[in-house]
This record gives sequence, C-alpha cells and structure tokens, in this order.
Amino acid sequence: MSTPRPTRPPEAASHPTGTHAAQSGGTPAQRFLRDAAVKSADLAHRETIRFNMESYHAAHQRGRTRIKDWEAARRRCQEIKREAVNHLDKYLLQFEENVTARGGHVFWAENSEQACAYICDLAQRNGVKTVVKSKSMVSEEIELAAALGKLGIKAWETDLGEYIVQLRNEPPYHIVTPAMHLSRKQIGDLFRKELEPGVSDDPVELMAAARRKLRQAFFAAEMGVSGANFIVADVGAVAISTNEGNGRLSTSVPRIHVAVTGIEKVIPRLEDLAVLWPVLATSGTGQGITTYSTLIGGPKRAGEADGPKEFHVVLVDNGRSRLLANAEEREVLHCIRCGACLNICPVYRHIGGHAYGTIYPGPIGSVLTPHLLGKDFDHLSSASSLCGACTSVCPVRIDLHHHLLHNRRDFVQARDTKLSERLFFRLFRAVMLRPWLYSLGGGLARRGLRILYGMGLAGSVFDPMRAWTRDRSPVPLPKKSFRAQWKKEGRA
Amino acid sequence: MNPADNPGRAAILERIRAGLTVPAPAAAAPADVAYSAMFEPATNPLERFQLEAKANLMECLLSHDSTGSAQQLAQVLASLPPGEIFVQDHPSLRRLIDLAQVKRAVRWSSQGAPSEASQATVTLVEAVIAQTGSIFVTAACGGRGASVVAPCHIAVATVSQLVPDLQTALGDATRKGILAQNSFACVISGSSRTADIEKILVQGAHGPRRLVVILEGAA
Repeated sequence: MSTPRPTRPPEAASHPTGTHAAQSGGTPAQRFLRDAAVKSADLAHRETIRFNMESYHAAHQRGRTRIKDWEAARRRCQEIKREAVNHLDKYLLQFEENVTARGGHVFWAENSEQACAYICDLAQRNGVKTVVKSKSMVSEEIELAAALGKLGIKAWETDLGEYIVQLRNEPPYHIVTPAMHLSRKQIGDLFRKELEPGVSDDPVELMAAARRKLRQAFFAAEMGVSGANFIVADVGAVAISTNEGNGRLSTSVPRIHVAVTGIEKVIPRLEDLAVLWPVLATSGTGQGITTYSTLIGGPKRAGEADGPKEFHVVLVDNGRSRLLANAEEREVLHCIRCGACLNICPVYRHIGGHAYGTIYPGPIGSVLTPHLLGKDFDHLSSASSLCGACTSVCPVRIDLHHHLLHNRRDFVQARDTKLSERLFFRLFRAVMLRPWLYSLGGGLARRGLRILYGMGLAGSVFDPMRAWTRDRSPVPLPKKSFRAQWKKEGRA
Repeated sequence: MNPADNPGRAAILERIRAGLTVPAPAAAAPADVAYSAMFEPATNPLERFQLEAKANLMECLLSHDSTGSAQQLAQVLASLPPGEIFVQDHPSLRRLIDLAQVKRAVRWSSQGAPSEASQATVTLVEAVIAQTGSIFVTAACGGRGASVVAPCHIAVATVSQLVPDLQTALGDATRKGILAQNSFACVISGSSRTADIEKILVQGAHGPRRLVVILEGAA
C-alpha cells in the first residue's frame, strides 16, 4: 500500500492555540532551544522531576502487576480505539443521537474559535458569572478560560494541580499532574500569599485550604465545564475519570454542564470501559482504577434529586480530521492522554513540561502538535532520542517513536532545506555506502579531534563537535575504531 | 440543533469521511482474549471485594441482616460530628433509619439535592464490583451529589449485588438500559483523594473523606 503524504496546515497557525502565551521572544523553535537549555541545566528542577518520575514508576510497576496479562490488555485497548477511530463518523453520530434523545445538546466545533464562541454565547445567554472547570486538556487547547475571562466570567480550575498553576498564572506542566514541578514549600508560599496566611506546608492542610476556597466556587457557579476521557457511542455518555471529586461536583452542582472534548475520544461500547478504565488508571497513576469513573448522559431527568438542567457536549476538531486523513499516522488519534510516554521520556525528564511551549508536551505532544498547529512546531519531532521508551509503555500501543521519524521525513520533504544541509547529507550517504571510506573518515576524525582536544580547543569555533562540546566535556576518544576492536575480539 | 446553527457539523463529518477513504495500515487480527485472561477473575467475590476495598481505603462493614446493618449504620453515624444527614428516599432506607434510631435531622432525596452542610449521605447502590473494590451508583441512588457532597458517604448494599468484575457490571448496565434511565452513573473506588503535591496521598480532596460500605447478607 502506498503511503499517503500527510496534509499539513496551509501555513503556520496565525493564532497558535494550545501554546503558552507566557513565553515570548523568537520563534517557537528558538524558544524551545533556549528554554530546554535552561531547564536541563537546572539541577534542582531535574531533581524534582526525577523524584516525581520515580514515584510514578514504582506505582506504575505495582499497578501493572495487578493486571494478569498487561500486553493482552494493551492490545485490546488498541483494538477498541482502532475500531472507533476508523469508524469515527458512525460512532460520533450514534453518540450524538443518544445524547440529543435525552435532551442534551451536541455542538461540533471546527476550531478553537467556534468552540469558545459556542460556550461563551451559552454562558452569556444564561447570565453566567462563574464557571468551575474540572481538568480538561482540550479546554486548555482552545484557551477557554481566557475567552470567558474577556467577557468578565471567572473560570475556576478545581483540580488541585490545575488550581495551583492557575494561581501561578502558568500552563499545566504535565497532562496528568499539572503542578508536578513544584515543591510543597513553593505551593505553601503560594497559598499563604493567595489564600490563607496561616496555612502550613503540610499537603493535608494545603488541600484543605484549596477545598475551602473551591467549595464556595462549586456552589456559586452557574456553569460547570469538564473534559471527557471517553465518549461512549452506544449509550450516549461522556466518561470522566477523576480522583478528587472535583469533576463530580463540577458536573453535579451548577445548573449547566458543558463537556468539551476532542472528536477522537469516542469509543463504541460501554463495555469497552471494562478494559480502558483500568488500563488508563494504571498508565496514568498506577491505580487499579480511578476513584470516580463517572458517566454522564444528559441533563437532570424528571424524578432525579439533582443535576444540571442543561447538558452540552462540544466536539472539537481543531486539526484532528486532518490527522485522520494521514493513514500512516492516524493511530496517533488513539491516544487516551494517560501521560505514560511523558513519564518515561528521557527528554521530558531533562527539560520538563514547560520547555515544549505547547499544551501537549512529551512524545505524544511532539508527534501531535505539528499536525495541530503547523510547521512552526516541526522542531518538536526532533526533540527525541528515538529510544522507543514511549512506544514501549503506550497503553494503546501507538508507535510513537516511528511517528516522530515519519514527521521528520515529511517535514524535510515538504520544506526547502539549505544547500549546505543537502550537500552534507549527500556526502554522508556516500560515506555510509562505502565501508572503506567510512573507516578512513572515522580514523581521520579520531586523530584530528585528539590533536584538537590536546590543544585545549574543545568547544571552540575550530571544533566540529562544538554543538555538543560547548556545554559538555568531550567524549574520550578511543585509540581504535569499533570495527578494529571487533576484529581483534573476534580473533581472540 | 438546527444545522444552520452548527455549520461545523457537516464540514467535520465531510472531512472525516474523506479522510477515512484511505484505509489505515493493516493490523493484526483482533486477539479475542477473554476478559478473565487479562484480569484476574474473582473466584471468591466477597473476599476479593473486601481486599480491593481495603486497598482503595474504603471501609467495608459486613452484616447478616437489616438489624445488623442498622447497628453498623448507627455506629458510623455516632462517630461523625453533629449535623444533618442526607438519605436516599427509598423504603428500605427509611426502615433502616428507623431501625438505627437516628436522632439527627434527615433530609430525604425526594426533598432535593443534599445540603452542603450534610455530615453524611446514606444511599443504596446498583452493584458492588469485586475486581476493583468498587460500588456502582446511579442518579437513582439519591442523585448526583449524594455520593460526593458530604464528608462521609455510607453505601448500603447486599451481597446479592456483588458482581465479579467491571465487564459484568457494565454489561448488566447496558442490558438494563441504566444510562437510558439515569442521567448519571459512577463507579466509585474509594474516598476522594489527591496526590498532586509531591505525590503525597491526601484523602478527602473535594469529595468524601470516608466511604463506608455496609454489605448485608454476609454469612
């Protein structure tokens, strides 16, 4: 089968939704290089990330042992998502029919502007002054809080991590644990300044302070906004997984509930959640299942004690249908946003979540963002060592590191490369095809670099390895090539 | 919704259908692995539920009959600060509240949503799931707020409601049309919690600090 070329956005997004507005100066690629260099040299930051990732890793490993056949469960999840994404129109229409039959509303938004306009109009028509939000990456992607803010509507983030980064006026650092980069001391300082002067650094007290504040918001808000981990076609329900209960309160107490989600979140059957829920929880946090696995299929029905009077689902495309047309990379839409690929990625572990400058960081973000936001973000596909760790942990078996390679190939083919770059790779190809030339080149390079480094010129303008050695010690040069050593060992 | 109010709908569907004309690369045939091959089956559902519920930081209290359940309920309520409780308006729970000789003010679900000041909520469940140590509730179990607003949620269930796993619970829900009859359903697996600060577990984030399951009919 021929590989269809991906269709890219016609030009760099003029309104780069889903990016960090706080970053400034230079192109996204320049900012990425600058911020990545700063963060990877910040040892305290790296220690925080190491600590968090090791805690996650231990919990994840424990969680996996609770599943009898982890690989079979992954394959089942892959099959469910594959079926859904490859019949996307059918399942979305089935979902819509079921929701509307129960008095809910489904709005299809081609882009962030349409999604925000619908929700803002709904809020204005209903005199909404306060919105409570449970964690939703799609609402971050469409920059909903900012759109509501322009109308004077206050949107409270109610997930503790999201609330913390909202108080700091920062984007989420991680798609599952948004305040992972902060210590309890930093959060304590923030809460003493913003919430209660007497609160200590004890996480129990910090949570209690946030609970007191946000309880007022839950009961004052006229509108609750949630995301959806899945949208279930056969029963017409959104499935929301949360541990804190903020998602429950946001969708129970206010008189209007709006669920904002991507079109790719649909799954065919309710029973599919019997596998997806445990696998998502295990990959996301190491839990056997998330504390609240909630299903919402409409507004409050006659005879029910409580619940919103209006229920709206906003299905956001925002470039996803363009990615769907790329058959080679279509499976990227299978992602269930568990964050496992971020947690294992050596690049993420060094530079952290904010350096990417996008809402979706880490390997999945590096694959997805260039498709959603355009060529300004092509560089992210090179922010990987291609070690394949991300692919090995993905609960829906997305071949992430190969998709990073596909992106690199497509981006190079689609743009004008420099003459010097083209000449270099022609030379490189010629050398790689001729073992004798490769051997000669390697020998000359070793000798040349040894002389250069002997003169103390490592990292100087004369050093061809300067990109590496200007910030690092030069790698010790072996006396013999690998091939020579191999021959000797073989003879021995 | 009037199509004129949502022009994006037709455009998105058109793009999806055009995109899907190119098939995805071939995949291996579905493995058709049994659920019990992926997840350890619960050979003794009651024992498994107790084990998993404990791991979920849930309190599981067993009782032989409604008198025993009333005693368990009275003890739990006695451990809570004074104040109103919210109870699902169901004949079996009205009997239980009488048997437990509850002296507190009781707000019934037929009177509306639970008050923010409720000290506890008492509800029934749709099912109890052994595999994950969970209870399955719907809007019929006192409404949406009944299992999340108060600091303590007391769920009253019977052993006959125990199902071995999630697949059975969700399969039953599909067959019975639970989502067609209820605007809300939830699989609850423990008390509200967070680990957003330095991965330290804190119980009682925005929802109940305690989730107590009184399981009636245990031999």
